[in-house]
Amino acid sequence: MTQLPVRLAAVAIGLLVSLHASAADLTVSAAASLTNAFKEIGPLFEAQNPDTKVQFNFGASGALLQQIAKGAPADVFASADQESMDQAQAQALVKAAERRNFVSNSLVVIVPTGSTHAPKAIADLGQAHYTRIAIGLPASVPVGRYTKAVLEKANLWTAVEPKMIGANNVRQALDYVSRGEVDAGFVYGTDAALVADKVKVALVVPTEVPVLYPIAPVANSTNAVAAQKFAAFVLTPPAQTVLGKYGFGKP
Amino acid sequence: MEGAWVPLLLTLKVAGWATALNLFLGVGVGYLLARKRFWGRELLDAVLTLPMVMPPTVLGYYLLVLVGRRGTIGAWLQSTFGITLIFTWQGAVIAATIVAFPLVFKSARAAFESIDPQLEQAARVLGLREMAVFLRVTLPLAWRGILAGLLLAFARATGEFGATLMVAGSIPGKTQTLSVAVYEAVQAGQDDVANFLVLVTSITCIVVLLTAGRLVPGRVAGQG
Amino acid sequence: MTSTTRVWDVDVERRFEHAGRRFDLQARFATDSTRLALVGASGAGKSQTLKIIAGLTAPDAGHVRLGPRTLLDRRAGIDLPARDRRLGYVFQDYALFPHLTVAQNVTFGLGTGLLNPGRRVDDPRVRRWLDAFELAPLARHYPEQLSGGQRQRTALARALVAEPGALLLDEPFAALDASLRVRLRRELAELLTRVPIPMILITHDEADVENLADEVLRMQDGHVLRDVPEFLPPG
Repeated sequence: MTQLPVRLAAVAIGLLVSLHASAADLTVSAAASLTNAFKEIGPLFEAQNPDTKVQFNFGASGALLQQIAKGAPADVFASADQESMDQAQAQALVKAAERRNFVSNSLVVIVPTGSTHAPKAIADLGQAHYTRIAIGLPASVPVGRYTKAVLEKANLWTAVEPKMIGANNVRQALDYVSRGEVDAGFVYGTDAALVADKVKVALVVPTEVPVLYPIAPVANSTNAVAAQKFAAFVLTPPAQTVLGKYGFGKP
Repeated sequence: MEGAWVPLLLTLKVAGWATALNLFLGVGVGYLLARKRFWGRELLDAVLTLPMVMPPTVLGYYLLVLVGRRGTIGAWLQSTFGITLIFTWQGAVIAATIVAFPLVFKSARAAFESIDPQLEQAARVLGLREMAVFLRVTLPLAWRGILAGLLLAFARATGEFGATLMVAGSIPGKTQTLSVAVYEAVQAGQDDVANFLVLVTSITCIVVLLTAGRLVPGRVAGQG
Repeated sequence: MTSTTRVWDVDVERRFEHAGRRFDLQARFATDSTRLALVGASGAGKSQTLKIIAGLTAPDAGHVRLGPRTLLDRRAGIDLPARDRRLGYVFQDYALFPHLTVAQNVTFGLGTGLLNPGRRVDDPRVRRWLDAFELAPLARHYPEQLSGGQRQRTALARALVAEPGALLLDEPFAALDASLRVRLRRELAELLTRVPIPMILITHDEADVENLADEVLRMQDGHVLRDVPEFLPPG
């Protein structure tokens, strides 16, 4: 009679064990704007390191940071701004010694294609016909932080904030503009290039702080060797070529 | 934690409206499915249950496509009435209504089906019009089951996240409901805010569920 | 022209189809009897016929006339809804409203508005019927608190209080034990002498027929057979 529960437990444990990721998997938590480029870089890395499978986890850098802080099993962290990585470093979540910048990007204002109004300067966004503007949530999304900094510097934040439609990551902001749900949005140049048929870049916005992406292995990674290799790999010519193809600049 | 009250009040407003809408929609549809026989009845029931089993983000996506500024319905609303639903609390109400609708109509249908049709027939023979039959016989016998369904729907609406996020976005004071506020607080590392919001949401839901539980196994006749 | 006006002139047809099985009801009878018994095996179509007469089921074709009133005539385009037929109906299991008291149940048909009657017994007609059936002490009780006999009487009072043009009873005593049946049968017989409205009674019980009916119709497989002489009471 006690045989059945024991057997069931054994099967359950067996299933759980088989679900557990094999030790040779590498989990890379990367900013949403890196989605397309990293998906191409992944196979390149795997080709050079045949015993490692790379898995990606894309999202807003702030969200990824929180996941790592709460113990998510990421091996590498690549964020879209220094601040996210600084916070990670402050919480001893990453190996500071192996942190380096690997690409740069530009902040742009986009509008839906076919839109009759396109701002010629960011001050134009204060005008009445821009009723909704997609901006990443500054608390957790780097592109939002860059945007807020720029607008505050230009004394435009109070005028623009009431029109802000908060996006949880830069791709969501991009989506809002592509669909025409908003009149304008702040995204990276690389994102705008992906849907050139649906959005057009109205302005390139010079930022307070240069848009530089850092990458670092996660401190508690179970795969430290592979993590370090990946962090180094993104700076190698093959990876940089891919990144350049998508519009990223040199670090 | 004053920051938590705004999302709480907004959530209650959105969930309240959604439940009120579902009261009419759900009871009407529930009655139709319980009492009228027609070809495809069970198929209709299954289709109307979809929002309950569909992932909310999928539902949110469909809603976005339909109700967005360029969507079929959205564009029509915009040009005819000048109404936009996207990024408004009304959009959040639509999302919450659809997601919770199956809970109401299914409870209503079950409640109506549990009533002996002979009681309604007796009322008709005694001279009552259909509306009087419904108000004097059907509803008094079904209201407990319906109310239980409404309370579940209210709880579901307060917790609605995926579809709401897509359609209503997250605008503090306008569409940032409790669940969305929790999500963003966690993303931003504001754990204390997140914890408080979660606590408030949990208490609300528990209270609602307890009340619903008391109503369902209730006795049909009053106690003299 | 005219056929003479009968008390009951019923000629209805309906096809019932369920799960691949078919049942054709064809009930035809014309009579001057005001005490009509409808007998037959289960499934013969008796309840269905009564429901059609009451307007609870719609036939495919035919007519139903009660005295000078035409309740239904498909060909003439007449089809009074149940609420307008002014008939009293007692269901087999009484169909008392469980959420209303005895008094409220009996008062139910007196007001056809959107609100149920209040709990107090105001209407003298209701009071009279409650007294006649010895239900007055139970006026504030709910159906689930009543015995079988009390429920039956409540159902009867409810059907009669609004002075219907006819009374339709579907096996009114079936759920009662023998002694109760005897008693209530006697009560009904007496009632019918005081309230001379036409009555159709569905029953399996020969004693019901003997005591309450002056004519018997037997139904079988959805049809009304000719009068069966051995069922007629003597004289």
